[in-house]
Amino acid sequence: LPNHPTLSLSHRVNVEEVGGEALGRLLVVYPWTQRFFEHFGDLSSADAILGNPKVKAHGKKVLDTFSEGLKQLDDLKGAFASLSELHCDKLHVDPENFRLLGNVLVVVLARRFGGEFTPELQANFQKVVTGVANALAHRYH
Amino acid sequence: MLSAQERAHIAQVWDLIAGHEASFGAELLLRLFTVYPSTKVYFRHLGDQPDEVQLLSHGQRMLQAVGVAVQYMDNLHAVLSPLADLHAQVLRVDPTNFPLVIQCFQVVLASHLQGEYTVEMQAAWDKFLTGVAVVLTEKYR
Repeated sequence: LPNHPTLSLSHRVNVEEVGGEALGRLLVVYPWTQRFFEHFGDLSSADAILGNPKVKAHGKKVLDTFSEGLKQLDDLKGAFASLSELHCDKLHVDPENFRLLGNVLVVVLARRFGGEFTPELQANFQKVVTGVANALAHRYH
Repeated sequence: MLSAQERAHIAQVWDLIAGHEASFGAELLLRLFTVYPSTKVYFRHLGDQPDEVQLLSHGQRMLQAVGVAVQYMDNLHAVLSPLADLHAQVLRVDPTNFPLVIQCFQVVLASHLQGEYTVEMQAAWDKFLTGVAVVLTEKYR
């Protein structure tokens, strides 16, 4: 898995903003993903979703965890083992959602970094989000 | 079915691409080949290392077809029928590749439009391009 090319951008990412935006855009672009967040309150419109404080908070939490995982790129399955079990046993989340969120995160990064988000950088980030999604799916049973 | 607002968002974004089909198309293909190298198997006619001229030429053709789809977005079946035949009988691109093209398309749009690329535009384009992919593969069997 790639290392420094990805991390060189990572330290310029505002985790709270990017996390919230990625989760918010997931819920708007793929509305069926809202099935896991009915307790989050108002998800009635794109504006409501993107402005929803619970969406922002949870997006930040997700991206914080993702960033922690970036420090263990050589053992993502180990790093996300207990989270994988949680998402299977307690949260009952279809792992396809991890792939969707990873893709939306890449689009959000492209939006932020514009032309700096080269094909090579995109390739690195896609590899990482795929690795994390697979790690989160790994303990499903 | 596309709502009136979705049609407006699709047309609005297309207005920013129109006239630049070649460069957008070339970037789309470059991202596709860089991020998802297995997709190159479908483009062997461009050679082992497609050069800028080939990417611009083929990219322009692909984006021009998208432009036609935008123009006739209420009647994709009819207007894309020849391309559907081509994909079913000649190209036979495995359907799992279309989401990869769509992801790269989203990254191209987001990286160029940046702050202007609203969530509503992202959602409308994802829905629209997914609809195009469905039509292109619907004669496969």
